[in-house]
Amino acid sequence: MAEKETTVGPEEGIHGRPAARFVKAAKGFSSQVVVVKGDREVNAKSVLKITGLARKGEKVTIRAEGEDAEQAVETLAELIAADEH
Amino acid sequence: MKLTGIGASEGVAVGPAFVPATGNPEPERDRITEAEVQTELQKFKEAVEAVAANLSETGDRLRAAGSEGEAAIFDFHVEMAEDPELASAVEERIGNLESPEAAVLAVGEEYAAQYAAMDDEYLAARADDVRDVTGQISAQLMGRGASAFEALKTPSVVLAHSLAPSDTARIQRGMALGFVTAEGSKTSHVSIMARSMGIPAVVGVGPELEDILAAKTVAVDGGEGYAIADPDADTVAEFERMSGVLAEERAALDEYRHIEASTSEGRRIEVAANLGSASEAEDALEWGAEGVGLFRTEFLFMERVDLPSEDEQYEAYSAVARAFGEKPVIVRTLDVGGDKDLPGVDQADEDNPFLGWRGIRMSLDTPELFKPQLRAILRAAANGNLKVMFPMVADVGELEAAKETLQECRRELESEGVETGEVETGVMIETPAAALHAAQLAEESAFFSIGTNDLVQYTLAADRGNERLRRLQNADHPAVLALIQRTCEAASAAGIPVGVCGEAAGEPELIPKLVELGVTELSMAAPQIPRAKKVVSEL
Repeated sequence: MAEKETTVGPEEGIHGRPAARFVKAAKGFSSQVVVVKGDREVNAKSVLKITGLARKGEKVTIRAEGEDAEQAVETLAELIAADEH
Repeated sequence: MKLTGIGASEGVAVGPAFVPATGNPEPERDRITEAEVQTELQKFKEAVEAVAANLSETGDRLRAAGSEGEAAIFDFHVEMAEDPELASAVEERIGNLESPEAAVLAVGEEYAAQYAAMDDEYLAARADDVRDVTGQISAQLMGRGASAFEALKTPSVVLAHSLAPSDTARIQRGMALGFVTAEGSKTSHVSIMARSMGIPAVVGVGPELEDILAAKTVAVDGGEGYAIADPDADTVAEFERMSGVLAEERAALDEYRHIEASTSEGRRIEVAANLGSASEAEDALEWGAEGVGLFRTEFLFMERVDLPSEDEQYEAYSAVARAFGEKPVIVRTLDVGGDKDLPGVDQADEDNPFLGWRGIRMSLDTPELFKPQLRAILRAAANGNLKVMFPMVADVGELEAAKETLQECRRELESEGVETGEVETGVMIETPAAALHAAQLAEESAFFSIGTNDLVQYTLAADRGNERLRRLQNADHPAVLALIQRTCEAASAAGIPVGVCGEAAGEPELIPKLVELGVTELSMAAPQIPRAKKVVSEL
């Protein structure tokens, strides 16, 4: 298992285009990936679940389990932190 | 029955009425039987695939046309349609003998309610997205097609409450004979699009639209601004006659499309097009545009969930620049205010948005918005002949600050080793202050462009959206003409060109006056170009 904490970058939080891009990237990994915010834990491959999960500047943790877990948390943590739209 | 509204795009048409289905469909069945579960699970899977394929096809088409912002909405919708959590929740309900068409609506509604409850206006909009997508899957399950416009297979007059870019993007070419909408103004998306396509449109007819939704045939006059539901035979004949006359007029103007218009004294007047998106470029060139006098960038920012990135803007500006080659394209920096919401920008409600924080005022205060736009323009300028124009300028200080920001962007790009092109900078003359101050502004500008719509509104203190003040929404007013004259004199003294890019530029009665006052370029909705060239050549 791998996990990494990061800070939400996009101005309007996670939804819309940043959410679509994030989910698309998550689906590229065979690992099971979740995004954890406080006591909520959601499937990183579900755009419906991650929409509205966190606002800009809030901390979330990416956790993955599987063959490409390390790479998944690195890539996805970076993607969620990017403020470029 | 006759409905009157705002004539938003000239022309007449008569044809069958088409009303796009709104809201979500009613499920045909609530429950299924145990024996049906396996087949229904399979049907649900197929419906999701069909809807996702349809959505991504529309996204690809928009992207190919240079409408990246609109395309991104469809990327998001594809992800929602294919959402694994949505699928598992629906499959569980099907296992509990709920019909798939009811189950998908119910699950969609759960998410929509969640988003709507979060007290965040962007998330509230996401609630509509979920309802839209799950509604499409439900409709697909009931064999009704995924998009409200899929059923539009014969050329028809489209009747709708309002039409968003995502709606009009789904209409196949040639299928819309005309538009009648309850909401909207001359500057709404549907109006601008209808003008660029040369299709008649009447907008803002109000709630009375409801009364004609059942009509079989609708006649629409987009010049006069009215629509008639189920017209009698005489009316149909009259509309067909008018439509024939207009078609003949248009054909007679064909020879003027690609001429270079000059007056009998030999004054050359450039006739260009106003564009709202890159996808209109090809049509504009066909109408004979010698350039783009006004490329509105608002549409990149509107009706979407996030701000367009620098790269996305670069693509959109480059698409227009490439389409026009050596012909000049004037890109106007973002001109929005309190009357339009911008994702990610904190806009306070204003009592007078047209006198508020908008145009260059907003841009100078929000470098995070302004700089990516200027960088994108500078980069795209390497692909064609781009110029940049600043809206709502009221004094020289604003122009200097904007030019300074542009220089800063250029230095940054150069130090990053990114290729840029030359861009001239100009001012949109739309405040009386700018017109009165034109001599000073001319020293700092490579060109002027007079935005008559706002100049009229500000000079005559008459809200351009107020129907009761129609008498004062008139560029042919001595006070407005005096300001135009002053602007032209200042431009001429400084040796810079001056264009007009408001509605007035395309009005045959006004063109002679504008040319006489010293205007050197006219920019208008593309279908008006041949007529304007004719008027100029007869002067």
